[in-house]
Amino acid sequence: MIILFLLPAGILILLVFGVPLIRYSWLSMHAASVVTGLDNIPNGGANWIRLLNDMRFWKDAWQTVRFASFSVSLEVFLAILIALLLHQKWKGRGILRSISLLPWALPTTVMALGWRWIFNTPYGPIEKIINFMGLNPLNILSNPKLTWLSTVLGDVWKTTPFLALILLAGLQTIPDDLYEAFRLEGGKPFQAFLKISLPLLKPYLFLGVIFRLAQAFGVFDLIQVMTGGGPAGSTESLALYAYLNAMRFLDFGYSATIMLASFILLVCACALSWVLIYQSKNIYRVYNS
Amino acid sequence: MKIKNKYRLIFTLCILTLSSVQPIYSSFIDNSTKINILMPAPFADSTKDLIDQFNKENKGDINIKVIRGPRETESVSDLAISSLLLGNSPFDILMIDITWLPKYAAAGWLAPMDRYISKRDWDSLAVGAKLGNSYKQNLYRWPMTSDMGLLFWRKDLMENPPTTPIELIRIAKNLVEEGKVSYGYVWQGRQYEGLSCVFLEVINGFGGEWINESSEVKLSSKESIQAVSWLKNLIETGITPRAVTNFSENEALQAFKSGEAALMRNWPYAWAELQKESSIVKGKIGVSTMVAVEGEQPTSTLGSWGLSILSSSKNKEVAYEVISYLTSLNSQKELFVNYGYTPTNSQIFNDKKLREAFPVLVELQKALEQTKPRPEIPLYAQVSDVLQRQLSEVFTNDKNIKEAMLKAERNTNQILLSAGESK
Repeated sequence: MIILFLLPAGILILLVFGVPLIRYSWLSMHAASVVTGLDNIPNGGANWIRLLNDMRFWKDAWQTVRFASFSVSLEVFLAILIALLLHQKWKGRGILRSISLLPWALPTTVMALGWRWIFNTPYGPIEKIINFMGLNPLNILSNPKLTWLSTVLGDVWKTTPFLALILLAGLQTIPDDLYEAFRLEGGKPFQAFLKISLPLLKPYLFLGVIFRLAQAFGVFDLIQVMTGGGPAGSTESLALYAYLNAMRFLDFGYSATIMLASFILLVCACALSWVLIYQSKNIYRVYNS
Repeated sequence: MKIKNKYRLIFTLCILTLSSVQPIYSSFIDNSTKINILMPAPFADSTKDLIDQFNKENKGDINIKVIRGPRETESVSDLAISSLLLGNSPFDILMIDITWLPKYAAAGWLAPMDRYISKRDWDSLAVGAKLGNSYKQNLYRWPMTSDMGLLFWRKDLMENPPTTPIELIRIAKNLVEEGKVSYGYVWQGRQYEGLSCVFLEVINGFGGEWINESSEVKLSSKESIQAVSWLKNLIETGITPRAVTNFSENEALQAFKSGEAALMRNWPYAWAELQKESSIVKGKIGVSTMVAVEGEQPTSTLGSWGLSILSSSKNKEVAYEVISYLTSLNSQKELFVNYGYTPTNSQIFNDKKLREAFPVLVELQKALEQTKPRPEIPLYAQVSDVLQRQLSEVFTNDKNIKEAMLKAERNTNQILLSAGESK
């Protein structure tokens, strides 16, 4: 009986996720590009061999992992602080709660264009300040060592509110009695955070991190508008590379292969974050015994 | 309550019937042929008057509808490609950039146009405008406006524009050292298509080639290394700001327009922008071609937009009629006078009155005669991408020039090999 009830949702999920996944897997085993006149010709896994030998793929994979891990960890840290602040009872909290969501509500392309001008050399405000202080220009958007950090900053600014919102919802589910009892037993506020808030927030934290990781792994619009993947390809993400292959190079077989490979990487990253969030204690125990 | 519901039902039914009848009704009285054209936003705006006029004159017969695409070149391509991939594209005519043509033609999206074009039509084109419209001996595009790389120079700062790379460095360096400008020379150094256009002009100016006629990649040649070194040297000596590595056309124009730069490489559209009231350098600008070492011809990278008929269009004959109207002598004149679009018809360049009223026409004609198209292959986007990445590595990451160009050459060869274009 229960299967019957799950059927509609099951079919929907299959249609939305299953079909594209199967189609991509099929496509990744074919040569399908402008060279083949857009016909699909089976090529026995040549796309995958090409992927394994493609240094640009590995470089982009590393850059995507770097972008995702830096931005998501920074966001988690900031979101916890913001959620705690917005959870306290104080005047004006309601307004601040609404305002804090604004960056998240802005379209990514608009704010990416904004960042591009903020970081612009020599006309952007940041370079103007640096110039005013008498320092050499940083050339943020044309320095491969710095540019990726500016994209992380753009992402953190935009998506921290989303994570903060999820964590705030989590905080509100924790009954006040727990904190009261803890205080009566002589616990300090910071200890209360470590012993009560954080453990009880875990499901929310996990959910938020999974959401954010999935988004960060597929980052496209922010990078496309801010840097276009440059300078020297130092900010190119896997999604951007897959897009270039499909839309610019008209090589759909290889583009599908890149997308699938980045999907596999994402699953690994999600599994890793599950281990970090839920199993950290067990690991610690096993390691110390 | 019941009665109210009944009325509501009748009302809804009425609306539904009416709305389903309306399209049938309107198509019954309006049996004109509809021609849909996808154009980048600036072109959609500038051709509006011409198209309104056409629709008025051909009321009941032909109706042109322009779909206003995005502003940025590559975004227009994305939109067009998405619609073409899904099949049943709503467009009859596409306005396409010169570099898309081989790719679109190889994918089978464009209809050959040879049978519409007479020898007289072909002969009316200016020299540079004839290039880049064909793929495998078939004509797939009729040019609407020429576009080529130009060197803009400040008449108030120098007597004559530089003609050789050494001269450019000398003039620009002096002006920077004298404090007359902050930057000597600005160009497009961001990792994008514009960088390939800049490089093509420089490598040709040094007597080298990107990919030669027999499909050999020449990126690691002596001339190519000299060209890259020259560009890098501009950045290192401060003649060009380091920020140029994130400049596209707009940023370069911004620097030049505000009087901060003595020389700029850009496209003809910049000329019209520099004549506006907001431009500090209005009336102080000269136009010339890119520098070349002695004994070599200067080169302008050919840009140019044209109109192509989609193979899926059901009204190809009518579509051609529309194209010939939009590219007619009158239309070109209007677009040049009002919007500064470089014509493709040689008659306009030789029109005495126009030459007097717009002296820039002389320089434009000269540049158009020296244009060179980028490699005309379906895999151009990959080949250009490889070059952009390596050049960007040299300019921003201090990668060894020889190493970078060897890598670019190797990767380009691989791409050509995979497409069976290499020998």
